[in-house]
Amino acid sequence: MILTETELAAIREQAEAEYPAECCGVVLVRPDAVAGGRRRLRPCRNIQDELHAKDPARFPRDVRTAYYMAHEDLIEISRQEAQGWAVHVIYHSHVDAGAYFSETDRRNALVDGQPAYPGATYLVVGVAGGRAAEARAFRWDADRREFVEVPLVAASPAAAAGPNGPETR
Amino acid sequence: MAVSVYIPTPFRRATGNQDRVEVEAPDVKTLLDALERRFEGLRGLIRDEVGEVHHHVNVYVNGEEISRLQGQATALKAGDEVSIIPALAGGAAAA
Repeated sequence: MILTETELAAIREQAEAEYPAECCGVVLVRPDAVAGGRRRLRPCRNIQDELHAKDPARFPRDVRTAYYMAHEDLIEISRQEAQGWAVHVIYHSHVDAGAYFSETDRRNALVDGQPAYPGATYLVVGVAGGRAAEARAFRWDADRREFVEVPLVAASPAAAAGPNGPETR
Repeated sequence: MAVSVYIPTPFRRATGNQDRVEVEAPDVKTLLDALERRFEGLRGLIRDEVGEVHHHVNVYVNGEEISRLQGQATALKAGDEVSIIPALAGGAAAA
């Protein structure tokens, strides 16, 4: 299972609320409970506009066509990883551009040709005219050495709830 | 003067899966030099061929990104925590 219905609904809502900016965030899980344990949805702050304003040569795009998770989010995600959480889903939206895994997405998901988070699914939400029109999921295929689309199955919250249930920050 | 360095998931393949290492270094540059000597697989992942930190990699000292401090000249003291975290970034094709 990639997402719960509740998580997907929250992500779509975030994508619409932040339109016409790209939104971003992650879903963290305990590795021993991916199929039905504790999960955390963490919406993150897109600081692409700040980077663009500070250094437009290095960051030529703004939030309408790019995202860059805020430093405080990256640090907090790392802290949670150190506590045993794993990055399960990395999501962002595309603004009036469709839900596809772009070359920019692919390039930024790799570190030295290897997937930065091999176990993570990348979710892209396409927002058209302010409405979240579609959502598609992509994951690294080690044999093909490429990101490929995978079925986006959203389970009911009850199916994903562990002892403490799904949670958001 | 040991500094704790947090290694996130994407770089652990280069550190034998260690998520935290201790390094003695007076500043960030010396720390990165020491890390690259100890873990050859990190060479090229954090810095480019001229020694600049890659655009898609962020280095933090006690939670502060080093470009807001003194870059690789940022001084370190015992007990500091350094994190090296690749950016989570992307976006649609350019319009």
